[in-house]
Amino acid sequence: MLQIITGFLGICANFIIYIAFGSLITVRKKDEKWSLALTIVIGFFLYYSIFFFFCVPMMLRFQTLTSLAYLWLVVIAIIVVLSGLLNGRRWFAKAREIANKLKATPLFYVGFILLCLVQGFLITNAYNFTLDATYYVGNVATSVLTDTMNIYDPYTGMWQDHFEMRYFFATYSMNDAVMCRLSGLKALIQTKTVMTASIIMIIQCIYYLVVQELFGEDKKAQFIMLFLMTFLNFTFITIYTSHNFLLTRTFEGKAVVANLVLVVIAYLYMLLLKEHNGRRIWWYLFIVCFGSTTISSSANMLVPAALTVFMLPLIFIKKDIKILPKYAACILPGLVMTLIYVAYVKGYFVIHTY
Amino acid sequence: MQTLNVVDTGLRYLQLCLEYYTDGCAYFLLYIAALLFVAVAGTKKEKLVFLPSAALLFLSVYNPVFPIILNQIFDVNKEYYRFFWLAPIIIIIPYVCTRLLMLQETKVKKGIVAVVIFAILCLSGNFIYANGYEQAPNVYKVSDELIEIADIIHEDSEVEFPKALMEYYYNMEMRQYDPSILLTINREDYIYAVSNEYTEEMLEDDTNPQYKLLALLVRYQDISAEDFKRALDMTNTEYMVVSSDNAIIPYFKQAGFRMVANTENHTIFHYELTEPVTFELIDYSGLR
Repeated sequence: MLQIITGFLGICANFIIYIAFGSLITVRKKDEKWSLALTIVIGFFLYYSIFFFFCVPMMLRFQTLTSLAYLWLVVIAIIVVLSGLLNGRRWFAKAREIANKLKATPLFYVGFILLCLVQGFLITNAYNFTLDATYYVGNVATSVLTDTMNIYDPYTGMWQDHFEMRYFFATYSMNDAVMCRLSGLKALIQTKTVMTASIIMIIQCIYYLVVQELFGEDKKAQFIMLFLMTFLNFTFITIYTSHNFLLTRTFEGKAVVANLVLVVIAYLYMLLLKEHNGRRIWWYLFIVCFGSTTISSSANMLVPAALTVFMLPLIFIKKDIKILPKYAACILPGLVMTLIYVAYVKGYFVIHTY
Repeated sequence: MQTLNVVDTGLRYLQLCLEYYTDGCAYFLLYIAALLFVAVAGTKKEKLVFLPSAALLFLSVYNPVFPIILNQIFDVNKEYYRFFWLAPIIIIIPYVCTRLLMLQETKVKKGIVAVVIFAILCLSGNFIYANGYEQAPNVYKVSDELIEIADIIHEDSEVEFPKALMEYYYNMEMRQYDPSILLTINREDYIYAVSNEYTEEMLEDDTNPQYKLLALLVRYQDISAEDFKRALDMTNTEYMVVSSDNAIIPYFKQAGFRMVANTENHTIFHYELTEPVTFELIDYSGLR
């Protein structure tokens, strides 16, 4: 029971943290409009981007997971307090705004919340056997038990003499281990309930932004599209589709890349179509691209590809070559990670654990 | 896509890959239909949102030459399907369906279009719970029996980190629940064993004693009790967890392994190691 309560609090804490992190980027001037959904999405990627800079050096220095956990707790506390001081009033104003929206169009919001809850309930309560969980969840559990990071083999528990670079820079699962250490949650609950529920809700945030962008204020159309998006996720199922990853392997970084990152890039492209010189949108895009490389190594290949597919046409649509360096900056994290991994596979370097 | 190979299939790779990916689902065709709708009847905004990226996707990801070129640089055989995730199917199909619905002026027309859309979407896909919804048995989302087995092993064992040999599913799930139980077989070795026999040469390879264990446990190959015990010693494996209806059980009994306990569907055996090696965590304090 304690694990369930802690897990629920963990989900709530996640969103408070994402809002606090995201507000530092998305909320600026007084009285300027800002989106809570976008703040959550950007906050999620900013959170993992910053975590990366604390986690990787500590892994390289063989620090304990506990040391990282306490250090990271301090960082979170500082950022939440700082963000609260800077944006607290705007958060309250936003809460009032949301309450007014709920009163104005209760059917839409009740329907949307129900849609989120039904998905969350179905996905987090289902039993799924996946081979990849053996590594991802096993790695979190092993790191917590051994109080190390990425050193012991998740499959067998035996010591590894070097870091496996395929997973080394994707520090997403180490964050799960940190959260297990801080909360006392079991790895299975942290990954398959807390993060699964959180990811589903964040994905609903980006869906909400997309339907708003496409249908403006037409709430009826927005809701129909949200419903159909959910329906498609539940019906386009083969073992390879991103939708299957979303419903059965939500806790994996790959599922986040496939179902969140790629949709966020498409959404930001829609914003750039309206305002291609918007510095803030490019910053969002950069944070998403960098953050995604820390979530899954699959992003190293997919994110540059997605950026190419969306941003190269933008250069021609807007007839503005200045888009090119911004696009290059956004694909850089993925390319650098890919080159590092290729160098590792070709045997140019290895990082030993001794 | 473990079975597909760009070099072997050449220009057909893309088609085969798509066939595996869609596996009878017609959503990819709906994606093309949605693009055609936007191209023919879409507004300027809709065309700019959906068509340029689609054009680039068809020139690259959906171009049969592309995987061949890409494979020269990276090994894309197993993971090319992930490029199909780039198509914003989750946006465009629901969007076009909604647009079609909103275009109808009367409630009757809306109702008819809604039914048609719903029918098309249902017929185009595979519902995730088509074979029923399997609810997780507990908050850990592993079987209650696995939890019971972990407890039994710890109660029986004299060491902090007992090592066990388990059947496929438990081998994959045990350490997610209880990482203090070490496992003899890693994932790749197990996957190999499921679909491959072990050759004489492999079974004589003393650097990989786990082959003997898998040859018996998974392939039911002829392994003498002496060789099996030697492999257990070499891998420091104390416990064996097998299904109660596994034909290997008489072999284990005959070999003299102690039966620790029976759960609902599994039997746990213990082997007294000749020279047990206690597993200890590495002390990194000197390297920090």
